[in-house]
Amino acid sequence: MARFHPFQKRSLFVVTPVRCLVCFVFLISFFGTSCLAEEGNAPSGAILPDSAFAATETEGHEFIRLAYSESQAPQAGPIDDDSRTAPNQKGDPDDDAIDADPWEDDAQSMDSIPDPLEPVNRAFFVFNDKAYFWFFKPVATGYKSVVPEVGRICIRNFFTNLIMPIRAISCLLQGKFEGFGIELTRCVVNTTVGFLGFQDVARQALDFQIQDEDLGQVLAYYGIGPGFYLNLPFLGASTLRDTTGWVGELYLNPLDYMVDDFWPNVGFRSFDILNKTSMRIGEYEALKKASVDPYVAMRDAYYQYRLNQIEK
Amino acid sequence: MLCNRLIMSVFILVILAAAASVSVAGEPTEDVRKTTDRIIAIVTDPGLKEADKAQEKSRQIRNVVDERFDWEEMSKRTLARNWKDRTEEEKKEFIDLFGKLLERTYLDKVEGYSGEKVLYVDEKMQGNYAIVAVKIVTKQETEIQVDYRLQKKGKEWLVYDISIEGVSLVNNYRKQFGSIMTRSSFKDLIEKLKSKVEEES
Repeated sequence: MARFHPFQKRSLFVVTPVRCLVCFVFLISFFGTSCLAEEGNAPSGAILPDSAFAATETEGHEFIRLAYSESQAPQAGPIDDDSRTAPNQKGDPDDDAIDADPWEDDAQSMDSIPDPLEPVNRAFFVFNDKAYFWFFKPVATGYKSVVPEVGRICIRNFFTNLIMPIRAISCLLQGKFEGFGIELTRCVVNTTVGFLGFQDVARQALDFQIQDEDLGQVLAYYGIGPGFYLNLPFLGASTLRDTTGWVGELYLNPLDYMVDDFWPNVGFRSFDILNKTSMRIGEYEALKKASVDPYVAMRDAYYQYRLNQIEK
Repeated sequence: MLCNRLIMSVFILVILAAAASVSVAGEPTEDVRKTTDRIIAIVTDPGLKEADKAQEKSRQIRNVVDERFDWEEMSKRTLARNWKDRTEEEKKEFIDLFGKLLERTYLDKVEGYSGEKVLYVDEKMQGNYAIVAVKIVTKQETEIQVDYRLQKKGKEWLVYDISIEGVSLVNNYRKQFGSIMTRSSFKDLIEKLKSKVEEES
């Protein structure tokens, strides 16, 4: 019964190699970031906010600056762009001119993520594609037909509530104290009133939203750039930074302290993944159907998605 | 005592939330809302539920979407610096193909509609440009953040980009097309688009 010992010999055994991996990845990440920053002649090395980092990258790499993205000059807020948009209002006859919209800063750019490992990533992309269609999708479809949606939502809520420490600590490390408080309250409310987290009472009744924070975002907050794109087998789209964060999160996941026997732990995790997959059937298919180059589409979608998350 | 207070705070929260959702509704939001409501009306129309009405249904949706979406502007922004070098015919062909692809993508999304709630959260306007922020709440209680970017042309506000959870459609296609064009040619891109549009459409 006394399974709540984080420092049992057994768990230390598992933890040590993982710890080495974290340090290793961290080092590479840091090294990679500073190299990239230097290439882009960044003035202050690796310590740059993420958006600034993305901007400096454009100078050093093959990223093409578009004719109309001149307005992306630093701190070009909506107000500065008034002069640019004004002529268009008079019905500019030049059809070819692509008008910069006033929110140029967060879209319409050619910035993307470095992908030096593209051949390997593409290979894993194909691998994941097959793994999804041949294994995950059929299994999840079967599961979906057996377990009703309400049940699956409850199970999802349970696992979401369980990994509260990841979100709470990520909030804390970014100085988002309100988010930290919300997460703690959510956990207390949902674990008690919400029957161990199966019901998300905190959101329904108190409008306490899930704080979508993770360690990857924490690293970004401290100025660590994405490094480069990684498409990992089974795990999918990621970057060096976000993979580092993911490894760190393994420490914050209470599941590992509560269930520290290997196979039951894997069982819980698989169940979580299966449940999540069952709710996302069709998303990947849609992306594939809509895109001309699904690999690039996925890579860019991930990049944009993370930027959006980090900004929040 | 505590219970009373809890109920009170919940009550106030609900009222505040309701008030907040009413407060924003400018011209761009109204235009987006009009189109969205018409699409939802078509999708949920019991008269169009049968399988043999599928074609009629997508034709109707297409009409509504065509009025609101500015395919040319989207094409321009997607091809970006490659747009200028195109001849008139090439532009036409591209707009046609790309428009079809986008339309189909949108149609696929919309046809799966099953009572999701659409909340109009925010609106930003700057001269001829506007962003309408929408939140879609699915049945599985997940929220999807969708931003419509619009440009005023004549009297109407037309959509030239949609971003879902911060992922801009135009940006995403620009990266894909850019990568194809640096590797091969515009012709190849057109070929790829053609086969994409033809596949099970």
